[in-house]
Amino acid sequence: MRRMLDPLSNETRRRFRELWRWAHDFDPKDPLFGLTKQQLSGPTLSRRTVLRLMAAAGILSVADVLAACAPTQTPAQTTSPQQAAPAQQPAPQTRPGGHLICGWAGTNEIRTLDPAQINQVLQFQIASNVLSGLTHINPDLVAEGDLAVDWEPSDDGLSWTFYLREGVTFHNGDPFTADDVLFTYNRSKDPEQSIHSGVLANIQDVVKVDDYTVQILLEKPQASLLVKTLERSSGRAMTIVNRRALEEMGPEQYGLTPVGTGPFRVVEHQLGQGVVVEAFDDYYDPQRPKLDKITFIPIPEPEPLAAAIEAGDIHLIGGNAPAAELIDRFVANPDLVVSEITGPGFQALWMNPHRDPFRVPDFNKSVEELLQEPGFKVRLAIAKAIDREALIQRALFGRGEPAYGSVNPAMRFFFDTAINQSSLQRFDLAEAQRLLAEAGYPDGQGFPTLKLMVTPAGKREGEILVDMLQKNLGITLELDIKDFPVLIDFFNSMDFDTLRIGSGGDYDPDDALVDWMITTAKFNGPNRPEDLPFGYFSDAEVDALVEEERAETDLDRRKELVQKANQITSDKVAAAFLYHPLDILVYRKEVNFPAESRIPGLVDLDRTTLES
Amino acid sequence: MTRYIIRRTLAALVVVWAVGTLVFFALRAVPGDPISAMLADVDPSMAEQLRQKFGLDKPVYVQYGLWMLRTLQGDLGNSIYGSNVAVSRIIAEALPRTLSLAALSLVISLSIALVAGIVSAIRRNSLLDHSMTFLAFLGLSMPDFWLGILLIIVFAVKLGWLPAIGYKPLSDGLWPWFSHLILPAVAAGTPFSAIIARMTRSAMLEVLNSEYIKVARAKGLHERTVILVHGLKNALIPVVTVMGIAFALLMSGTVIVENVFAIKGLGRVLIQGILNRDYPVVQGAILVVSMVFVFSNLLVDILYTVIDPRIRYET
Repeated sequence: MRRMLDPLSNETRRRFRELWRWAHDFDPKDPLFGLTKQQLSGPTLSRRTVLRLMAAAGILSVADVLAACAPTQTPAQTTSPQQAAPAQQPAPQTRPGGHLICGWAGTNEIRTLDPAQINQVLQFQIASNVLSGLTHINPDLVAEGDLAVDWEPSDDGLSWTFYLREGVTFHNGDPFTADDVLFTYNRSKDPEQSIHSGVLANIQDVVKVDDYTVQILLEKPQASLLVKTLERSSGRAMTIVNRRALEEMGPEQYGLTPVGTGPFRVVEHQLGQGVVVEAFDDYYDPQRPKLDKITFIPIPEPEPLAAAIEAGDIHLIGGNAPAAELIDRFVANPDLVVSEITGPGFQALWMNPHRDPFRVPDFNKSVEELLQEPGFKVRLAIAKAIDREALIQRALFGRGEPAYGSVNPAMRFFFDTAINQSSLQRFDLAEAQRLLAEAGYPDGQGFPTLKLMVTPAGKREGEILVDMLQKNLGITLELDIKDFPVLIDFFNSMDFDTLRIGSGGDYDPDDALVDWMITTAKFNGPNRPEDLPFGYFSDAEVDALVEEERAETDLDRRKELVQKANQITSDKVAAAFLYHPLDILVYRKEVNFPAESRIPGLVDLDRTTLES
Repeated sequence: MTRYIIRRTLAALVVVWAVGTLVFFALRAVPGDPISAMLADVDPSMAEQLRQKFGLDKPVYVQYGLWMLRTLQGDLGNSIYGSNVAVSRIIAEALPRTLSLAALSLVISLSIALVAGIVSAIRRNSLLDHSMTFLAFLGLSMPDFWLGILLIIVFAVKLGWLPAIGYKPLSDGLWPWFSHLILPAVAAGTPFSAIIARMTRSAMLEVLNSEYIKVARAKGLHERTVILVHGLKNALIPVVTVMGIAFALLMSGTVIVENVFAIKGLGRVLIQGILNRDYPVVQGAILVVSMVFVFSNLLVDILYTVIDPRIRYET
């Protein structure tokens, strides 16, 4: 550690030692780790609180603390609404400026930037620079105040009062007030106008208390409200839109050139040819943005994308992850910086429990009881026969982390770092072969030839999986490549043998559990035939645990419930979990992309600078 | 002639209608629908609502009737994705890019091909002719995406003379427009230039052997006049035919070249629409593409009469 710290200033070294000690200074038996209830619920979780929580979870690294003492960062201050001063006058003369050109990988066009219609990560990566929500997540995926400066839940957790930032203006000059929150809510809850109305189902009403105070009334307590519902990128539904602009432009044009309160304003959008945004001079934080202008160009093909950044035509790659085979080439290029962090998602191999040989008519048994059933033995045998490290090496050139559940390591606090040891799905070839033999298929003999459905993008991975299962278990899967709209139809109607699909942009445990693992999850066989009692997985204990964690506002207790539910889905093989993808950001070395902005899955450019 | 044009135009419209109808039903016969494509992020419980919103819950023949009615009124509908941008707008934005690319490709391939073809014909069986033949086959055999990437690596990455990707409209200035288009135009035009060069060569050879060329030479005309006026003009008929097809193909979108150079033209609109099962976009784009095909053929037929006054279409 000493060597690592050497290049740092004495001041940083002092801060590092202080923060490191502080983070670890708690009684392990104390359920709140020495943090007050106020520190845990505050307007933002302070940087220190987050470090303490990470230390408590055993995942605090030197790099985390170093990032925290970087001079550009000030620990988030607890600001009461009374102290929340209106934004100061901007000082454009201090703006370093510059025109950043970004290539958006793997896409033909930025079809929409309207939060009510956004359905791709690569869209909200741009929208999040233009529009704001009441909250925004930080690199630890913890919600911080954005247009809200503070909030407090009622004792029963059913009513949340939000204090709004004063002095905020939209790009068209309109002031931001409680009315905009109400307008956004009413628009987003209407399924005719928004595809995210489901996200707001738990909100009973939004009430204006005064111009800068709103109350959100819930049907039942919801722990993920700040991250899953109100956050500007992952939540989207409550990303604040401008009424006048929508009325003047109409939703079609608004989707291309939305008007918001974010650090950048859209000045031009040529569908398929690019989006141009410029610094918004009246942004509420006069320190941001640093750049004058950003152009986002969609570049669908990997090779031209690589050529463009190598030639310096573009400075940064955002959008979908650049093709895995390019990354080593980027790493070897001294002009480029490749930043790899854990991505917020997972990929899994799903096995249809209503079909032989994976048949499990009912998951509501103990694992010991399930282990008596041949169908379950086959599921577990397959899950245990997948050498995840080798799969990641061969399919992703090493860029991924083994997965044993849908909760991803980017969630840090909620992620169970021991699950790679504790999960029954842990790679164990001898055990897998034994289970398969017990199920009646010694060395794969008599095992039917089944289909493995993948999207064209998942072809390489599919081929490696097929090969691995053939070699390890002697079973044969045939690749069945389907375009995404077709594949998802088969998945939703439970019409597959095995199928590879997964998720991205999972910032809250609810994205991983509520959307995927409970009986009523939105992907869990919603269009299955009526005679099927459930989709791909159904377990009463998981349902109960998730029901409880959703309402639990005590972070520590919630973490316990989340990890328990995640462990059950892993042990009972809801799916054979494969890997958590890495979030890879590539940029030229003249771009300074601060750690503070490095939020998994997002490309926030408000603090980014460009050296001329 | 006018009557001929009117008749051909009417026939063309019937072809366009037939293509549109075929595509309409074929799209709906293919598995997967636009709402499924969107579902990754949308609660499936909303799927029915969305189907209603876009009229996809109605029987196919009702959908067809409504589509015909709207199309006749000039309304191509709205994209099902994102902020439901009007199809006419998507096409109107893509069309100038495709048109620029197609026109420049054609100009480049024609200027190379005519020179190469004529020189080859005049210096038949010379080293020059063989080199031209070799180059033509090379041009034909190189896949356009490969040539595109090669051009990018040489001219954008190594030499840094031209931008690697993107498109700038002509309104941004001639050089920005041209510099962004020259590499894709060469990549898209090379195979056509090879075809047209071969075509020109054989047509010229045939013409140069004919009696009227001998007469022209016997009259003592300058060799240049013999070749360019008497020879080339008569050799142009097959060349113009190929040119018409080349232009139609370039206009219907050189998807691969568009993808390589990140230019959002008609080809990409079409492919993206198909992958997403975005019915209105596919229908609209196909309608435009089939019109380009049919009418560029008509234009070629009319051009024949200009090149060769003996051709008459009076009936």
